[in-house]
Amino acid sequence: MSTTNEQPEISVKNLTQRYGKGRVIYENLSFDVPKGRILGLLGKNGTGKTTTINILMGYLRPQSGTCRIFGEDITAMQPATRARIALLLEGHVQYAFMTIEQIERFYARFYPKWNKDAYYQLMKKLQVSERQRISTMSCGQRSQVALGLILAQNADLLVLDDFSLGLDPGYRRLFVDYLREFARAEEKTVFMTSHIIQDMERLIDDCIILDYGKILTQMPVEELMRTFTKYVYTSPEDTPLPSDEAIVNPSRVRKSCEAYSFLDADKVRDILSAQKIPFEDFHTEKMSLEDVFIGMTGKY
Amino acid sequence: MTRAIFIKEWFKTRRCFFICLVLALCFAAYLILSMNRVSVNKGVDHIWLIMLMKDNLFVEAMKYLPVVIAVALAIAQMAPEMTQKRLKLTLHLPYPQTRLVVMMLLTGVVELLVIYLIQLAAIAIYDATFLPHELTSRVVLSTLPWYVAGLTAYFVTSAICLEGSTRRKVVLGLLGVCALYPFFVQPAPEAYNCFLPWLVIFAFAMALLAFCSIYRFKEGVQD
Repeated sequence: MSTTNEQPEISVKNLTQRYGKGRVIYENLSFDVPKGRILGLLGKNGTGKTTTINILMGYLRPQSGTCRIFGEDITAMQPATRARIALLLEGHVQYAFMTIEQIERFYARFYPKWNKDAYYQLMKKLQVSERQRISTMSCGQRSQVALGLILAQNADLLVLDDFSLGLDPGYRRLFVDYLREFARAEEKTVFMTSHIIQDMERLIDDCIILDYGKILTQMPVEELMRTFTKYVYTSPEDTPLPSDEAIVNPSRVRKSCEAYSFLDADKVRDILSAQKIPFEDFHTEKMSLEDVFIGMTGKY
Repeated sequence: MTRAIFIKEWFKTRRCFFICLVLALCFAAYLILSMNRVSVNKGVDHIWLIMLMKDNLFVEAMKYLPVVIAVALAIAQMAPEMTQKRLKLTLHLPYPQTRLVVMMLLTGVVELLVIYLIQLAAIAIYDATFLPHELTSRVVLSTLPWYVAGLTAYFVTSAICLEGSTRRKVVLGLLGVCALYPFFVQPAPEAYNCFLPWLVIFAFAMALLAFCSIYRFKEGVQD
């Protein structure tokens, strides 16, 4: 995924994590986030997206494996390194007992590259008083405060945990547009999760799709959209679905069947024929990133 | 940065601080009025007599107040950190984490000491107007263990609030009761004089519990 030989901003090697001593969340998870890329971690609920962010930010000790940010082991992260990372917690959590003005002044003291204008530019859109407490704002307004603070921090790496949680489409769009412009213009590296894949499609360069216990795929979004295909065909109801490692999540509704694969159409046809599955009207369908995600992880 | 941390803690606690200060002053006023009523009705001699012969220093009513104030202040300060796990934001600040926690606790301790000192000063100044120096210092020395108990309660309550595991919260609560018990065992005035410095050390040692809670939070020990 890395396009240069530069050291990745985030490097995760052989990360293993369990719920207590029980179910494995993932085993030997490894990935890198190269500089200047926007990487989305996609996965169903409970696949370990927030857990990964908690580990990366030092709020959870992994059972095994190593994580490095800017080359530094996250278990001993220095304050200067934390200053280079902007963190958005799930639910846009901020110090709700502060006002818009107070919170800006508070954070400004910690970050040397603080850009006050970036924060207030976004706040102007909210139609709220500078003296309004964050606790009295709507979820959407709070998300903009959290985003404004991240933009003002002007960090090298942005880590965003489920930024779309609780936001209506307008605020989601505003968030995505602002973040995308900022990240592209300033060449920032972004590592993010979201359960709304539509938003990610507009934003991310690379994606990792997590399933329970493992990474399903890890590649640039453009390549994924180009190579992963949805095949649709009709077949009598009593015929089986194809069973092959290269064909992912085949399913059927009456006679209408669908299957997903990285293989091209001819190879999928060959597999169907080899398995003596009768089929008609075989064709591909254009997919959004959400369709790709569903195709790869299944509907349930 | 240090100033910003103090200000953040102040934003969380200021309302509680003023309520506690008013409460402490109301108690001080009540004790002063009680004493004043006795001195007006029966004369100052009678107060001296009661203090020396019956070991009644007219401050018994405020015995548990420092603990109540400390618990309220610790909750006001630490509960917002654990609501929505906001402590993650605090620990992500580019500031040494141990020093950050020290600053947070120090803010609470300073606020508590301000409340305690104002209350104690009000009582001591009033007492000094008609009592000999020895009796005034007897009142002050007899109340000091209750204030030290307040500091202990502050650290234990902070640790309970910052603890992510409910089971450990209960354990810390029981530990807190055990830690506070010795401060209220001996009812005689000045009974704690000789080991008051040890009680102060004990109280500050309880601050380690808050560090342990934060360490566990960082390890991911949460319900």
